[in-house]
Amino acid sequence: MRRGALAGVLLFGSTILWAQQPGPRGAAAVPPSARDQAPWDPSGYWVSLITQNWRHRMVVVGPGDYIGVPINAEAKKVADAWNPAKAAGKECEAHGGGIVMDLPERLHISWQDANDLRVDTDTAMQTRMLHFLPTRGGAPGGVQAAPTSRPPTAMAPTRQGYSVARWVLPGGGQRFGPAGRAPHSHYGSIEVTTDHLLPGLLRTNGIPYSAGAKKTEWWDLRKEATGEQWLVISTTLVDPQYLTKPYVYDPIFQKEADGAKWDPTACSLTP
Amino acid sequence: MKRSPVALVVLLFGTMLYTSTVLAQVDLSGDWALASDTIDAGNGRLADEYAGIPLNPQGRAAGLAWTADVTQELHRQCNPWSPDYIITGLWGGRFTAVRDRFGTVHGWNVTISVYDRLPMTIWTDGRAPPSPEALHTYSGFTSGKWEGDTLVTMTTHLKDNFIERNGTPGSAQRTFQMFMTPHGDQMAITGVIRDPVYLSAPWVIAATLARRVDRGATVNNRVLYCMPAELEAVSDGYHSATELPDAIQKLKMYETEHYNVPLDAVMGGPQTQYPEFRKRILSEGYKPPTAYCKVNCCEFGSRVCSTKTRASSVKH
Repeated sequence: MRRGALAGVLLFGSTILWAQQPGPRGAAAVPPSARDQAPWDPSGYWVSLITQNWRHRMVVVGPGDYIGVPINAEAKKVADAWNPAKAAGKECEAHGGGIVMDLPERLHISWQDANDLRVDTDTAMQTRMLHFLPTRGGAPGGVQAAPTSRPPTAMAPTRQGYSVARWVLPGGGQRFGPAGRAPHSHYGSIEVTTDHLLPGLLRTNGIPYSAGAKKTEWWDLRKEATGEQWLVISTTLVDPQYLTKPYVYDPIFQKEADGAKWDPTACSLTP
Repeated sequence: MKRSPVALVVLLFGTMLYTSTVLAQVDLSGDWALASDTIDAGNGRLADEYAGIPLNPQGRAAGLAWTADVTQELHRQCNPWSPDYIITGLWGGRFTAVRDRFGTVHGWNVTISVYDRLPMTIWTDGRAPPSPEALHTYSGFTSGKWEGDTLVTMTTHLKDNFIERNGTPGSAQRTFQMFMTPHGDQMAITGVIRDPVYLSAPWVIAATLARRVDRGATVNNRVLYCMPAELEAVSDGYHSATELPDAIQKLKMYETEHYNVPLDAVMGGPQTQYPEFRKRILSEGYKPPTAYCKVNCCEFGSRVCSTKTRASSVKH
């Protein structure tokens, strides 16, 4: 009787321990794609919720209004010299990768293929491509190594730059079954780093960012039992040329059922 | 004394389970300071500015009836803010694990060194909330559970207070939900305020905190207390000690007068949160200000924009 109980306890314990191990060795030969790794699916239509810093995001701010952006003296000099009357041809600079996700807009997010996530905006009709790395995330709450994938050599900078992404999953990404899929958990974040940006504007009143700017984003899904979903992107923009410290902002997007309100508009600096 | 092998195995197994449970929690310990831009959180919203807040008519009326002059009333000077101030305020917080004598984490204390937000405890041990009739306080009652690396909290039993420093009201029936996800030395916090009395939709807000390693002045071991004191009355030209919601002066609001923001935008409401509202006001003839900014022009504490610059009247 006692031996039976002992065997039962050991069997139960070993079952739990076994369940925490990575999948069979054979599964490692074919790394799961980013789409297969996804603990939640970012694809679909999202609308920005402008609930904070409203005036600076929803209407065109006037000259000299630089509150909230940690500009240095050089940036202020550039912004003070900004003249919207002489800005023809620069309309899309205010919709560049440095600030594009903070603008009032709708997103259409879709998987271009198994490892590339495409993000389209209706405002200014911009397109981002997030190139996922075939990694398996990291330790819970811990510091992760920066993504190392680089753009093709001699790639010219672009308005939205080159973005490298990866899933960061709780527990070091060891919750995958033998087929490389996330079987149960819908928790995890997307880390995105972006560089190779063309210079642009952080605001339509001329606050600049340079080609040396680099952006790090953490995409987190906030999901309610009621079905409400919000995508929150904690964003840190670093620009040694124009910013005295990282510029951090947190755009919020609400999931929409479809693209019924999708309304593409051209780049614009003024109403 | 002979020990039962079964007892030893059960003890070993129990220890393993306990350890795994403890390690399953992300360690939030430390000082976290606000890293996000400081327009709303730092300088704060201007008086009577509710754009982007889904106020209903009752909330709007209550907000308009408020005046900043209440801070000159001795019995109100030291009223603290509520837990949502971790996002709408400037201070971040110190997170300390609440442990029992065996080291088990039962929750997290969140404190700041200044008096204006009281300590709160996020209970993660599954304890039941107080009865609905229990005392409502400035900090309320907060429970939390881990969903992956995200601590999801819910605060109830809040006392009537304000959800923004410009007098935007929050009722005793409101709840405050948080999603807190650490990303290395940063922590992304999303807040959802629901209020059946003053809001017609959830107000979703977000901030990023950064871990402080220097234990500097904003989050430290010193606790600053509030001492009520008589203040000299000041006037901003817009408000007086007593106001009615429909006072004529109210129509000359900062946002409208200084920044040309339409009145129906300033008054808030759920519609003001969406891009189509922007398109509407732009199509109705919105004109951006052409004169140099004079009020709240630069980042909180910035040395780049001097007072002289702010006061300049250069026009393009």
